[in-house]
Formats: sequence, structure tokens, C-alpha cells
Amino acid sequence: MSQSGVTSMLSIKGLRANVGEREILQGLDLEVGAGEVHAIMGPNGSGKSTLAHVLAGREGYTVTAGSIRFLGEDLLALAPEERAQRGLFLAFQYPVELPGVNNTYFLRTALNSIRRARGEPELDAVSFLRLMREKLKILHLDDSLLKRPVNVGFSGGEKKRNEIFQMTILEPSLAILDETDSGLDIDALRLVADGINALRSAQRSMILVTHYQRLLDYIQPDYVHVLAGGRIIRSGGKELALELEQRGYGWIEAELAA
Amino acid sequence: MNALLDAGLAPWLRAIDPGPIPAWWQERRRRALESLQTRPLPHSKEESWRYTSLNALLDQGFTAPVQPFTPPPAELDALLIPGLDTHRLVLVNGCFAPELSSSTPLPEAVRIGGLSNWLADDPDLLEDWLGTAIDGKAAFFTLLNEATLADGLAIWVGRGLVIEQPLEVIHICSGQAEPPVAQPRLLVHLEAGAQTTLIERYVGLGKTPTCTNAVIEVSLARDAVLRHERIQTESNQAFHLSGLYLVQDPGSRYQGIQIGLGGRWARTELNVRLQGPHAECLLSGLYVAGDGQLLDYHLDIEHRAPACRSLEHFKGILSGRGRAVFDGRVLVARAAQKSDATMTNRNLMLSEEAEVDAKPQLEINADDVQCSHGTTVGQIEPELLFYLRARGIEARLARRILCLGFASEIIDQIADESLRGHLNSVIGQRLG
Amino acid sequence: MSGSPAFEGIVKSDYEHGFVTEIESDTLPPGLNEEVIRTISRRKAEPEFMTEYRLKAYRHWLSMQEPRWAFVDHPPIDFQAISYYSAPKHLKEGPKSLDEIDPALLETYNKLGIPLEEQKVLAGIAVDAVFDSVSVATTFRETLAQAGVIFCSISEALRTYPDLVRQYLGSVVPYTDNFYACLNAAVFSDGTFVYIPKGVRCPLELSTYFRINARNTGQFERTLIIADVGSYVSYLEGCTAPQSDENQLHAAVVELIALDDAEIKYSTVQNWYPGDAEGRGGIYNFVTKRGDCRGARSKISWTQVETGSAITWKYPSCILRGEGSVGAFYSVAVTKGRQQADTGTKMIHLGRHTRSTIVSKGISTGWGRQTYRGLVRVAQRAQGARNHTQCDSLLIGDRCSANTVPYIEVKNPTARVEHEATTSKISEDQLFYCRARGLNAEDAVSMIVNGFCKEVFNELPMEFAVEAQKLLSISLEGAIG
Repeated sequence: MSQSGVTSMLSIKGLRANVGEREILQGLDLEVGAGEVHAIMGPNGSGKSTLAHVLAGREGYTVTAGSIRFLGEDLLALAPEERAQRGLFLAFQYPVELPGVNNTYFLRTALNSIRRARGEPELDAVSFLRLMREKLKILHLDDSLLKRPVNVGFSGGEKKRNEIFQMTILEPSLAILDETDSGLDIDALRLVADGINALRSAQRSMILVTHYQRLLDYIQPDYVHVLAGGRIIRSGGKELALELEQRGYGWIEAELAA
Repeated sequence: MNALLDAGLAPWLRAIDPGPIPAWWQERRRRALESLQTRPLPHSKEESWRYTSLNALLDQGFTAPVQPFTPPPAELDALLIPGLDTHRLVLVNGCFAPELSSSTPLPEAVRIGGLSNWLADDPDLLEDWLGTAIDGKAAFFTLLNEATLADGLAIWVGRGLVIEQPLEVIHICSGQAEPPVAQPRLLVHLEAGAQTTLIERYVGLGKTPTCTNAVIEVSLARDAVLRHERIQTESNQAFHLSGLYLVQDPGSRYQGIQIGLGGRWARTELNVRLQGPHAECLLSGLYVAGDGQLLDYHLDIEHRAPACRSLEHFKGILSGRGRAVFDGRVLVARAAQKSDATMTNRNLMLSEEAEVDAKPQLEINADDVQCSHGTTVGQIEPELLFYLRARGIEARLARRILCLGFASEIIDQIADESLRGHLNSVIGQRLG
Repeated sequence: MSGSPAFEGIVKSDYEHGFVTEIESDTLPPGLNEEVIRTISRRKAEPEFMTEYRLKAYRHWLSMQEPRWAFVDHPPIDFQAISYYSAPKHLKEGPKSLDEIDPALLETYNKLGIPLEEQKVLAGIAVDAVFDSVSVATTFRETLAQAGVIFCSISEALRTYPDLVRQYLGSVVPYTDNFYACLNAAVFSDGTFVYIPKGVRCPLELSTYFRINARNTGQFERTLIIADVGSYVSYLEGCTAPQSDENQLHAAVVELIALDDAEIKYSTVQNWYPGDAEGRGGIYNFVTKRGDCRGARSKISWTQVETGSAITWKYPSCILRGEGSVGAFYSVAVTKGRQQADTGTKMIHLGRHTRSTIVSKGISTGWGRQTYRGLVRVAQRAQGARNHTQCDSLLIGDRCSANTVPYIEVKNPTARVEHEATTSKISEDQLFYCRARGLNAEDAVSMIVNGFCKEVFNELPMEFAVEAQKLLSISLEGAIG
């Protein structure tokens, strides 16, 4: 998929993965080059979230075949934190609540863990706070967020914005956004999309996992893939997303069955 | 007496000579001893000793130091918490040590002194005061404390007085050769409308195993407000017993926080009697039991008057072969209509060998009440751990963060920031 | 609750089942010694091993003391004043069919509304009735025999299937277990035996009704249910007794054994005579019930609706031995008048991935005293064990009490144990809302209390759920104006 001359960010070959006894991913291939934005669309149960979780290294998902290379390294051999330290970021579909864990403290620990792993100096509390405040403005988030426990008592929209906020702080090389648009009203969606667009760069790649085309009105993908039955069955440009929007997923499934 | 002798507790009965004591004091000691003679040693058939064995304590063997002891100033300084601004009161092996305590003057309406000073200044008040909060409910080790009662500290806060600077009582247990047992007695009384903060810290000096058997009597008159932070950070060789007896008059408010981090074997008994309407008692606690530690809590909360509120909220973290016992009882008497009581106990188990025994008990004899309790025992949620790891935090650190997060609900109730910071770092170290 | 017109005027409700049946009984004189035990065993023509077992139990019992830890008060029981065997005279040999049963007895069961007749085929219930100490009739044995199910009195089982009884009797509740279980092992007179063979889903709900009739008689029945691999059975017991000024002792033992993939549902509707409003008379219900989930993935659930007895002391328990086995305890207990109940359960998690659920609903009215006492123990090897306990008490009136005494012992970090308990009175808001919609106070209370107990009633077989609700309403009628 990546154009010649573009460095490979992520390379997935023949990926098969199970959840329990059930095979969800059934031979998935995907190439993502540096700076590219890929949208992965598909009906419910097609394996979109499984892919996101396998990439982030969640327990309970067993890879039975295939390979994933991330920046030239075998991703599957890495622990979840090592993946994050290498620059992979998953924006969770359902962000977890951490009662009693302060947002600022949480993020600083995360950032410094990543910096430490990369041999970079850690940020002290003051410079980190400055960084936080600066980035908060971009997402129109309130200062009070800094003092609150992670995601506790947040509305659905706040949780999603907090995920993007974390992304702006951690500055990953590859961001996987799992249904980040779900449950957002139009204003919140715009804010989240602005945040994501602000992070686009030639060095940073993104995978947008989504059911609807809506998000893609705000974030223009370079490539759109259709995931069904655990494999990518169609790939194309952003016009594919529009086609899906108009015709639904039925025709693809019908084509697949034929 | 035979049981005491057989168990090797006789050396506990030696005491530092308090000097001449009046007849009523001698009589108290005698009655306590008599009562001990008729009781068997605490054993596992007694409900409150069901999960706690005395054997480790008895096997160790302790001796009451008969000579007063003054620790070197350098060691004392190391026990202080930088940034914590308090009026300091130090007890060494149960005896008040004015030379180690703050000498800054306090408002006249606060009267603080060792029991022997009180005996000289106001013996009648002391006679009426001492033992009132216990009111015949003395537990075995309280009787042992009483039978040897020699000194201690008494704090009287006058009517309507509000003291901003916290009082800090530091209990030091230390000995030179033999493992010492200290049996301090602390009396605290707030007159109507008085308000103050009391920080009580239990610390050890040196490497010898120590044993503290403290009895604390607190009485709050009408509308008095006491914040009472009790922090036990003795060594992992230490044995600790403390019995708190709290009596609350109408409209009074007590906020108590128990932090148990040290001790090889530490037992805390909290007895609360809400005897006036609209009294409020908030009790929270955190225990962190690491390898080889037993932290043992017993709460006995009696709603004796109507419209009182009590809230008990205890959390525990257990690692290694750490053990914890939480035995809480809320009693609502027939007359205590409109009682509101909530007891919760949450435990986090970090290891295969840890053990928790919980017994949250309600005894309700009035119908117009709101009472509930909840207990959970579990481990760190894998989803939470994954979330942190997915943000680049290695598993060990992630676990520690989650534990501190779990603990923060209690730690954050500590008023002073320096003390909070100190506790967080001690907990962080303990969790490794 | 005073001041609320809904609860003014406590009305005494009459015990519906308080009649005595006039029939000739063969009753041993009061007293207990080795000769009495040999006599019981001889009259029942038991095999030698059983006589020996009883005697062993009796000798052990002599060394035991009555338990004192429960929150109940009663005058000392004179165990020498009790008759340990009473049988209706005509039944010494045991009935062969319904026709052989004393018509007066049948009349008794009709009064009790017990389904002995053919019409009950429709309801699909097979009944074993225990009258005082002897099993009088077992219906539908043929239907059950076709399925290979054994459902008979334990006396008969001892004669016909001695090896089966010998293998399992006392294997869940050993005679050394506790004072009353030990006494039962020495003197039990009859009870029910059920064996469900491998892979059989018992075609009928099995049911036993117990009735104490003769005065000064203790009832010591013994129930043993074995569900072999992959089988299923649902079993219901009901209990009544005549009114009497004397306290009568009921000390039963129930043992359940579930092998691999087997399931036993055991339901009880207990409505023994509770004594009068001043606390005279009534049954002392001191019962030991325990299920052993011996096999992997086996399930045992206890459902109880306890409205009767002067004193109830029982803790139907599950030993979750088999990997992935499941235990449940659903209980509604009502104490009114001077009734006392100390009841609950024990869930002992030994196997990996074992699960248990406890739902206890206590309602206390009048001078009633009620205690939930429960133990959840997770052994160190019980990886992944789960327990959820919900324990709610409702107080009606200001003279009653409700206690909650849970014991939680966890030795495995992967266990998840959650315990919640609440105690409150009926919400005035709920009551007012119901009344504003036109319900009278009594119906409103009944509706709210039934709602409070819903979770437990849902676990009862349909027909008995209806019965239990009626029973609950009747109990409350007595307590609320």
C-alpha cells in the first residue's frame, strides 16, 4: 500500500487472531507508510476492534499466524508498554476509569516512561505542567481536567477528548483511533477531529477505525479499507468511504458471498 | 494472674515508678489486675480474636523498661516530618517527655501535661476523667495498660477554643537491651464547641523488636470538632496494640483517619459511642500489609442516640505473605432512630500468599435507619493495568500507580500536604 | 414506624395449620440411651452398619455441647424429655398404595393442601410425606422408576439400596459436624432418599412434606440426594406442625451430592408453628443442610422461604469442590411476634473457577429477631473464584432487630468477592406512591415486600413461588395493621 520511497511504519502480513476459540482475524494484510492516514471501515463484528487490540497487545487475543512489523521491529514480541514506548498509541473505544489516579500524574508518568525508554531526559513537574496547559487549549479542555482522576465522572465526549489529549502529549508515531467518533455529538466530533488533524505530520501515521463515514468528513484519509470477515476485502481512496455511506455494507458482503 | 504468668506477660506488669500515687489510682490498678486474673487470655474462640493469634507476641517476650529513656537528639530529628508544622508532644516508652516537646506557648484554655503533672495540678479532674470513655468496656490489653498505669499525656481543650496549629503526639518505643513494651495512655477532651486537629504518630527507634500497648480516651462535648489522624509507621519488627475509646456528645464531629503501614503484628481496636443526638463520626483507614505483616482492625461503633451518622471506610493492600483482618461492627440501639451508618471495606490482594479476613457486622435494633455495608476483595483489574501499559508505563510501575490510586482515597483525607507526601513515599517504598 | 397509620394496631394472625390429627401412634417413651437407639434401628429393620453408625454418633454426642454462638435465646432443652420415635400405628410396615393409608391421615394432608392425589399428576409433582417420623406415602413411583430415579423413604433405601446409602450417608455432614447433626445421626427416624442416575433429567419435581403431629416428639429426619453425572433434579420440601404450648425440636440433616455436570435445586417453604404472640410454644428448627459440589461444573442451589418456627438455626451450605462448580443461596426469612432466626449460608470455594451467589432478604416485624450469618471462604488453590453476596434487611416496627454477620476469608488474589448489605425500613416514598395510586396500606406493604423478595421468589418453581408469596402476605397480615 505504501508508495515507493515512503518509509514503512506498519506492515501486517497474513494476520490471523483468535478471541478464545473463535477466529476473528482471518489473514489480514495491511501496509501503512510514514505520514499516511488509513481508515478501516466495516460492519459490526468484522474484526475492527480486534485489530486495534492486537496491535496494542491486549491479553486475551491470540495471534495464530502472520506477522506485524512496526518501524522494522517485530511488534508481537513486545509488551504493551514497550509498544507504547516505541511510539504506538491506541485511543480506546471505551476509555477506562482510574479512580484515585490524578490525570496529570498519570500522563507525566506515561510520558517519562516513554522518554526514559528512549534515553531522553525526563520532564520535571513544572515543565510538564506548562506542556499540559498548552495542549489543553488546543482541545478546548478545561484546566480542571488536570486535577481530576483519569476519566472518572467524565462524560462520553470528555473521555474521547481526553484520549486525544493524551495523544497530543505522548506524540506517537502511529496512532490507532478505535471508534473515536462513536457517542460524540457534532460539536465534540469537530473538536476531536481538529485535535487529530493538528497532529498530522509527515512522520506520524494514523489508523482510524470507524463504522461510519462521518468522521472522514473532518479527517481526510489517504486510504480507505473495508474489513469484513476478518480480512481486508476492498481498498481504495476516500471515495470508497462515500460509496459505503451511500450503499451500506450489504453490497460488499453480497459480493463476498458470490 | 496464672494465665498472665503462664503466658509470660508478668514482665509487662513492671512499671516505671510514677512517684507517689493517690489511693484511687492504686485502686484502679488493683481492680484492673483483679479483672485480668478472672479472664482467660484472648483465644480464637472469642469472636474478636477469631483470626488473630497471640502466639507471635507471647513468643517474643517483652519487658517493661523501668528506667526512663531519652533518645539521642539526632535520632529524634530523623523521626520528624519535614514541612509538618505542629505543636509537638513526645512520649517515650509511655512517659511524657516535656524536654523533647515543643515549648511554644499555647492558648491558656488548652491544658496539656503528663498524668503526673495533672495529678499535682488538678487531681480531682483527673480522677473523674481517667477511664470515663472506657466505661467498663475495657478489652484485655486495655486492662493490662490500666494495671500498670504510670504516666501518659492528657490534653484538655477549653470551651469554644479553636486551635489552628495541629497538635502532634509522637509515641516512641525504644529500649537498649531487652525488647521493651511501652503502655502509653493518652487522654483527649474537647469542651463544648472546641475544635482542633490531633496527629498521633507511632514510631520505633532502633532494631530491637518493640511492643506498644496504647490506650487512647477521647471525649467530645457538645458541638466539639476533632480531626484525629493516627499514623503507625513502626518497624517491621514491632508489635502494636492500640485501643481507642471515643465518646461523642450531641452535635459533635469526629473525623478519624487510621494509617497502618508498620508492625509485624499490629492490632487496632476502635470503640465509638455516639451518645448524643446528631453526633457524627467519620472513620477511615488504610492498611498496607507486606510480607510477614499482620494488620488487624476491630471497630465497634455504637449508635446510642437518635439521628447520629457514622461512616467507616477502610481500604487495604496486601502483598507477599501479608495478612489483614477487618472486623467491624455497627450497633444501632433501640433508641437510635434515624441512624445513618455506612461501612465499607475494600481489599486489594497483590500476591498468592496474602490473606484477608473480613467480618463487617450490623446489629440493628431500630427500624427508621439507613445502614449498609459493603466488602470487596479482589486484585488489580487487568483492564486498568493494560491501559497504563498501553500508555508506556512498565507493569511494575503501573501496579504501584494503581495501588497509590487505590490508597489515595484515604491518604487524600490527611489535611497536611507534607504528611501526605511522606505517607505516599512510605507506601511507594513498601510496595516496591 | 409509629405515627404512620399503616402500621398501627398489631393484629394477631392465626396459624392456619395448627390442628392435631387424632390417630393412634406407636410412640417410644421419652428419653435417650443406647437401648432407645437400638430399638429405633430394630423397628426399622436396619442393616447392622446403620445401628453401629447410630451408636457411634450417640457416644460422640454425649461429649458435645450445644452451640451458643447464634443470636438466639431459649430455655435449656431437656433432651431426656423428648420422645425419639413416633409412628402412626397402621403404618408400621409402610403403605403399598394410597388405599392403605389411614383416611384420617389423608384428611390431614388434604387440610394442608398437600398434593397426594392423582390430580397432581398434572402438576408433575411426586410427593413423599413424612408424618412425625415415618414416611407415609410416596406417589408416582412408577413414573420415576421408568426414568431410573430412586425416590423413597430413607428407611426403605437402607433396606433396598444399603450400599448406596452406606457410600454417601454422612459423607457431606459427618456425625461429628455439630451438636444437632450428631444427635440426628444417632436418632433419625426417617426421611427421603433420592438418586438420579447418570444423564437423567428427573421428569417430575420431587417433593416432601414434613409434619410434626404427636406432642413432645422430636422430629429428626434425614434427607440424602445424589445426582449422578450429568443429571438434574429439583426438590421441594414443605413443613407444618400443630399448635402446641410446648416447644418441639426439629433437628434435621440434609445432604446433597452433585457429581460432574449434575445440578440439584433444593427449595424449602418452611412454615412450622411459630408459637403464639407471647412466644409460647413453637418449633425449634435446628437444621444442618449442606451440599457437596463434588464434580466438575456441578451446581447446587438452595432456595428457602422461612416464615415459621419459634427459632430457626440453619445455614444451607455449598462445598464447591469440583472445578467450575456453582453454588447459590436464595433466602427470604420473616420473623414476627417473638420469632428468632439465625440463618444464612456457607460457600466454601475449594476448586478452581468456582462461583457462588448469595441473596438473602430478611424481614423483621413485631419483636422478631433476625440474623444473617454467612461465611464465604476462598481457599488458596481456588484460582479465579467468584462470590457475590447481597444481603438486605427490612424492618417493620420499632421493636424488632436485624443483624448481619458475614465472615469473608480470602486466600487467593485472583478471587473476586463482593459483599453488600443494607438495612432499612420500608420507604415512606414508595408507600406513599402506592397509596397515591389507590392501594391500601396493607396491599402497598405487601407489594413492596414482595418486590423486595422478588429475586428469591424467581428461583422457586413456579407453583411454589405463588404459594410463597401468599404465605408471605399472610405472615405480614399478622404484623401490620
